Amino acid sequence: MLILKNLMRRRMRTILSVLGIAIGIAAIVAFNAVGRGFKESLDRYMRSSGAQILVVNRSAMAPEYSTITQEEQDALRAIPGIEHMSPGTFMIISGRVLKRPTLKFLTVFGRLPGDRLIGKFGKGISGRLFQAEDEMIVGAEAARDLQLKIGDTMEILNRTLKIVGVYQSDVKFEAAGSVVPTSVIQEGRKMGNSVGMCFLFLKDGVDWKTVRTQIEEKMPALAAIQTGEFTTYYNQLDYIDWFVWIVSLISVVVGGLGVLNTMLMTVSERTREIGTLRAVGWSRGQVLQMILTEGVVISLIGGGIGLFVGAFGAEILIHWAPKGLDTRYTLLLFAQGLAIALALGFFGALYPAVQASRLSPIEALKYE
Amino acid sequence: MSEPAVRTVNLVKRYDGAAITALAGVSVDIDRGHYLCIMGPSGSGKSTFLNLVGALDTPTSGEVHLNGRSLATERNLDAVRAREVGFVFQLHNLIPTLTSVENVEIPMMAVGVPRAQRRARAVDLLTQVGLSHRLHSVATRLSGGERQRVSIARALANNPSLILADEPTGDVDSKTGEQIMACIHDARKKTGATLIVVTHNPEISLGADRILHMRDGVLH
Repeated sequence: MLILKNLMRRRMRTILSVLGIAIGIAAIVAFNAVGRGFKESLDRYMRSSGAQILVVNRSAMAPEYSTITQEEQDALRAIPGIEHMSPGTFMIISGRVLKRPTLKFLTVFGRLPGDRLIGKFGKGISGRLFQAEDEMIVGAEAARDLQLKIGDTMEILNRTLKIVGVYQSDVKFEAAGSVVPTSVIQEGRKMGNSVGMCFLFLKDGVDWKTVRTQIEEKMPALAAIQTGEFTTYYNQLDYIDWFVWIVSLISVVVGGLGVLNTMLMTVSERTREIGTLRAVGWSRGQVLQMILTEGVVISLIGGGIGLFVGAFGAEILIHWAPKGLDTRYTLLLFAQGLAIALALGFFGALYPAVQASRLSPIEALKYE
Repeated sequence: MSEPAVRTVNLVKRYDGAAITALAGVSVDIDRGHYLCIMGPSGSGKSTFLNLVGALDTPTSGEVHLNGRSLATERNLDAVRAREVGFVFQLHNLIPTLTSVENVEIPMMAVGVPRAQRRARAVDLLTQVGLSHRLHSVATRLSGGERQRVSIARALANNPSLILADEPTGDVDSKTGEQIMACIHDARKKTGATLIVVTHNPEISLGADRILHMRDGVLH
C-alpha cells in the first residue's frame, strides 16, 4: 500500500525511471536476440548441409577467405571413412558492385551443379536447380527484395547468369542469398581449382573425431570442424557477444543511475515521513525494506516492459538491417533480462535505502 | 507500591558539542494513568524532555525508566516506541498520500499486526475519534482538526501505556483545540494510559493531575 502510493506520488519521475530500466533491458534482449539468432542460423545452415565435417583453411580469419587447393581436395577424398566430399565456396558481394544500391550485400554460395550439397535447394523450388555454368538460383527473400523472377539475368563477377529457380530456406541469410556454379566464383576471384571449404559426408558408424585426426595430421594447414560447432570454431564471432554485452551494459548503467537518482530524491523529499515512520516504531530494517522494494518494483515493471520492447525492437531491427539476420529468443535470455532488471533496482535503491534507514527519527522529524 | 509509568533520573541533554544545554538534570516520577501537563516558553526544553521519554532520542547523561525498565539498557527502542508510546505531534505528521485508515495502520505494520486485524482496529479507533465518515479520505483532504484526530487514533493504534502530546492544539483554532483535547482525554480514560502534554496554553492544563513548569532545561 505504502510502496505503491509512494511510487504513484511522483508519477512522471517513476515513469521515467521505469523507462530507463525498460530501455536498458530492451537493448539487452534485442541485441542478444539478434546476435544469438545470427550465430544459431549459421550453425543451422551448416547442419542443414547433411555433412558431418566442414574442412576450412586454418589460416583464414573467416570462411570467406578460406582456400583449399586441388591437391588438398584430392587428399581429403582419399581419407578412409569419407563417403562423399562436396566442395563449397562462399562470398559476399556488395549491393553497389551489383549495381543495386538499395541492397547492402548479397551472399553468394558456390556449388557444383548436380552435387549432393545443392540437392537440398530442390525442395519446394520454383523453377529448377541450375545445370549449366551460366545459370543460377536465388533465395525467395532475395528474389522478393531484388524483384527478380525466373528468366531474369544477374551480373555476378563479370558474368551474366540466368535465374532458373527460386528456392526456399528457413535459414534467413540463405533465403536472402543466391547460389551460383562454383566455377563462377573460382574464375571471378582467380582461385584456379581451389575452393573455399569442403563438406565431408562420413560412412555409417565412422567417428568424426578419427577422421578429423587423420585430416589434421596429414594436412596441418586445414582444420576439420563438426558442422554444428561452426560458430564455436570461429571464435571471432564471440566479438558479437562482447559488442552486444558492452552496448547492453552501457544502457543498463544508465537505467541503474535513473533508479539511484529517483530513490535518492524520494528519500530526500520524504525525510520527515521517514522520521514519522521511525517515531511510530518502524525499525531501520523496515525502512530499508520499503525503499528497496520501491526500487525493485520500478525495475521489475521496467524489466517486464523491456522484455516486450526488446523482442519487438529486435524484429524491427532485423527488418531494417541488412538481410539475412535472424533472431533467437530463449527463456534464459528473458530470465537474464529480468535478473539484471532486479539487480539494477536492488543496487540502485540500496544506497538511498541505507541512507534512509540511518536517519535519526528526531533529526528526520525536524527536517524542513 | 508499583513502579511509576515514567521515571527520569538527572536527565541531561546537550547539543552541538555541549554548547547548548536543553535539559539540565531533570528528575521526575510520573504515576501510571496520570495526566501531566508541562508548560513553559519556547526553547525551555519541553519537547526535548518528551523526545527522551518517548525513546525518540537518547540523553547525554541520566536515565529514563518506562514502566520500571531503563531505556539505556533497552536493545530495541523501535519496539518501545511501537508498543509502549503513542505520539501526537503538533503538526500531526501524517503520511500525505495515505488515507486516514492507512495512516492509523502504520504503527500496527511496525509490529506485524495482520492486515485484516489492523484495518478493523483502525476503523474502530477512527470511529472513536469521530471520523467514521472520513475513513478513506486522503490526509491532504482533511481539515487541521481532522488530521490531528487521525494522529490521535494513530497514537492509540498499538494500545500504548504512555501518550505523549507535543503542542497538540498548537496548529488549530481554540474550538477545535477543545475538541482535540476532549478526544485525547476520552482515549486516556478508556485505555488508562499515562498522558504527558507539552503546551503553552494554560487552558489545556485544566484537569491535569499535575502541572510542571520547564524553564532553562529544569522542571519546577
